Amino acid sequence: MIVYGLTIILLIFLSPLVTSFIKMIKMYLLYKKPIPIFQGYRDFSKLLSKEMIISKETSSITRIAPYLVLSPLLLILFFLPPIAGGEYYVSFIDAFTITGLISLSTFFLMILGLDSASSFGGLGSSREAFISALVEPAMILALFSVSMMGNNLGLGQASVNLNNDFPYAHMASYLFAAISFFILLIAENGRIPVDNPETHLELTMVHEAMILDLSGFYLMLIESAGSIKFMIFASIFASLFMPFGLHLPIFLGIIVFVLKIFFIAILVSLLEVNTAKLRLFKVPNLLGIAIVFAFLSLITFYVLGA
Amino acid sequence: MIYLLLLPAFIMLVLSFWNLEKSKFVLPATSLLILYPSIKLFFLPKPYKIWGEYLVADDLSAYIMLVSSIVAISVTLAVSTLGLHVKISNNAYVKFYRFFALFWIGLTLSIVANNMGIYWIGLETATLSTVYMIKTNSTVMARKEAWNYMIVGAIAISLILFGIILIYASAKPILGERAIDFSALLLNAKQIKSPFLFEIGFAITTLGMFIKMGFFPMNLWLANIERASFYPVAALFSGILESAVMIGFFKFSRIASVVNSAHVFIFVFIYTILTIFIVSFLIYRAKDFMRLFSLSGVEHMALIALFWASGGVFAALLHFGAHAFLKPALFLSTGILESRGKYRIAGALRGYSGIKGKAFYFLTGIFLLAIVSAPPSPMFFSELYGFASMVELAKTNKHLLLMISAIILLLILLSIIFYKFIEIYQSMKYEGIEKKKVVYGNEVLALIIFAVSLIALLTPWSFEFLRGIS
Amino acid sequence: MTSLLIGLFLATLIVALFTMRLYRLILWYSLNSLTLALLAITIGINIDDNAMIISGFLTLVLKAFLIPYILKRVSIRFDLSRQIEPNIPVHYSVILVPALLVFTFYLSEPITNMISSNTNDVAISISALFLSLLLMMEHRNIAPKIIGFLTIENSLFLLGTTATNVMPMLIELGIFFDLLMAIVIVNLLFGHDDEEVAE
Repeated sequence: MIVYGLTIILLIFLSPLVTSFIKMIKMYLLYKKPIPIFQGYRDFSKLLSKEMIISKETSSITRIAPYLVLSPLLLILFFLPPIAGGEYYVSFIDAFTITGLISLSTFFLMILGLDSASSFGGLGSSREAFISALVEPAMILALFSVSMMGNNLGLGQASVNLNNDFPYAHMASYLFAAISFFILLIAENGRIPVDNPETHLELTMVHEAMILDLSGFYLMLIESAGSIKFMIFASIFASLFMPFGLHLPIFLGIIVFVLKIFFIAILVSLLEVNTAKLRLFKVPNLLGIAIVFAFLSLITFYVLGA
Repeated sequence: MIYLLLLPAFIMLVLSFWNLEKSKFVLPATSLLILYPSIKLFFLPKPYKIWGEYLVADDLSAYIMLVSSIVAISVTLAVSTLGLHVKISNNAYVKFYRFFALFWIGLTLSIVANNMGIYWIGLETATLSTVYMIKTNSTVMARKEAWNYMIVGAIAISLILFGIILIYASAKPILGERAIDFSALLLNAKQIKSPFLFEIGFAITTLGMFIKMGFFPMNLWLANIERASFYPVAALFSGILESAVMIGFFKFSRIASVVNSAHVFIFVFIYTILTIFIVSFLIYRAKDFMRLFSLSGVEHMALIALFWASGGVFAALLHFGAHAFLKPALFLSTGILESRGKYRIAGALRGYSGIKGKAFYFLTGIFLLAIVSAPPSPMFFSELYGFASMVELAKTNKHLLLMISAIILLLILLSIIFYKFIEIYQSMKYEGIEKKKVVYGNEVLALIIFAVSLIALLTPWSFEFLRGIS
Repeated sequence: MTSLLIGLFLATLIVALFTMRLYRLILWYSLNSLTLALLAITIGINIDDNAMIISGFLTLVLKAFLIPYILKRVSIRFDLSRQIEPNIPVHYSVILVPALLVFTFYLSEPITNMISSNTNDVAISISALFLSLLLMMEHRNIAPKIIGFLTIENSLFLLGTTATNVMPMLIELGIFFDLLMAIVIVNLLFGHDDEEVAE
């Protein structure tokens, strides 16, 4: 139980580190002077000390929404598959719950964007709705398929089962689910082929457009929600698609898990450096591939058992 | 023997890389050599093993080989004066022969192959080389059609390979590596453990072949290609390439009817009747010679397949021979007719003078009448025998009424074609203005070769031979 | 391992279906052939069949490197259009491709029931065949059509290795020869345009 609590705290504290780690690698690869790896924490502390300005036009939604954006994500952290062997975990939470909670968080983010009645907010919200509408089915299908391979609808239990008994017979459908989920990891977290989190260019921005009006503590909430979301996706990917390390002793297991997360971060940053941002109307193509793969994974598993 | 069969083609291939002044005469002369091994093969005792179990000649393949080589030499005879009728560069001419050599190699392999794989390889080689032969006509349309043919041919050929793989997979458990031999398959077809798989394979292969012969859903591409290419290429297409496809159909369906003859018959029956139904109306609407003849070629192919599937081997082979001689002859002669300026059906047969001109005029008229099975033509006999075999088949399985109504439908459709051809013949002969036209000796010679072979086909001896093939 | 490689094979093919750029498409074709070659080599090592290993290496050299290289050269030389929009819009393909896959999986069930070994692989190869047909059909430009033809060849090779363990060596070699000849013909078909301009 204590380890369970500790791992959740670890995940929360690790998430800004991972986000700035990606940024660091990208800057290093682009021959820029890299930011220090603790930049994420510094940003948060800076935002905390700043004054909070809220637009006159907004309703009470703006005051509530940042909390509601963060809280479903925090809730998911409790339901994640175990990160080290022998640890306490919630076994019965399935793909629908996790996707639903993520959508809930996205919903409040969109409401927040609309609330200030600025044109950018509406633009960002509509784009976000557009993307997440395509992400959701793929995500449900991919997670569902992989949890079927783990012989249990609950993701936690499925992950443990995958650890104990890797599905060599279902390699093909497993691979398809992995491809699909990796695309989702990129799309849902506003990474480069879909959205560029670093620019404020009105033509391209999605996530940033919704939170333009925020400042101070609320901005910190949203930013931390962003990094926690990445953490959630990365740890689901790490525990479902790189299922090893649960048999190690606890501390070694945690270290292996952290290494897996950083490996994913490196992968994402390499991808970001090497691809150009897609036009918004090309984004459905990418997500379409994700949907096709997720669906393919499910039917290969069901029809063929491969 | 295998060297003898392939040697002329190889010589042509090598010679074509030197762009000589004389290559225009050397190459056709070389191509005449291909007749000798075919005749020799024809008289050897059968089955003759040309190359182990891979290439085995039986009566059927020797017959088709002979027919094809006669067609090939006549076409090459006519090709040598192609440059006088149409604009063609010497380079294109040499290239035509280079690919003709490749074509002949592929064709020989596929005709005498006793191995499904080698059959496929030969067919693919022949198909790919004809793609470039279309391109020798350097018009925009020819280029477009060459690409089209590449695509259609690729799809058809891939389907054939797909089917072959399935057939091989179905027979491998009992025959091992030998499951790819036609003869081994034929002997052991009854023992195949999964006949369904075999039949799926057969259906897909046949579908590929039918696409390649221009059957039902894909009726028009063949006509377009033969329209776009030079007339000798069109003659090669209809006379030889389709025979390579046809012999594959013969061999595959022979095995498939051992497995389940009713299925084969129903499949081919529905497919061919649909094809003839569509094609007869397309012929009725055709407005130029090439389209007309290529559509009529599709119709003949359908009839051959139908006769073969209903057990009329003799009728199918006779029809096949007649088609193989008549169609290229018509392509050549009408190609010559329309080669100067715009083609025009009306008055096409008028304006020939001298012995050569008169002979040409006479032969073309005869061929036109023979293709619609006017009585002395081999087509007439083959259709009679074919319908008779269909009735025979129906007697055994008690669907006589259905079969007779199908035959009546076929006859109605054939009469539409007959009507159109007669109309065209009359229009060629009596309408239009008289213009002076030239024809060359070698072209008349080619037509005479065709005419002689047609007459040879009608002799009792050749009837006897064709009856001997089962 | 086989399952993973077959999965990768189908994955590269599906990605190729959604590709809009010619060079990217050639890259996907090359990766497709690469997985095919690795697959043939692994199966060959598993069942200890030298012919299979040889054809695997031939695939590696020819289809994964040589043919993509030639295609790229050809497309540079003849200035082919590098933007290849499929006729079928992507949002339809998203529905069409899974539908096709379900259809072929169920279609091939009676076939795969009769093949004793690697049933799943056979079903996947048949669906790969249909997907490559779709790739050939959905493009108007000629270059992607050629790549569609090549992927059909790849899926037939896959089918040959999975359904029948391996086709006889002679046949495999012949198929390779024909493939090379197809490439030469493609080159010539493009090439003639130059000559005419020169004339």
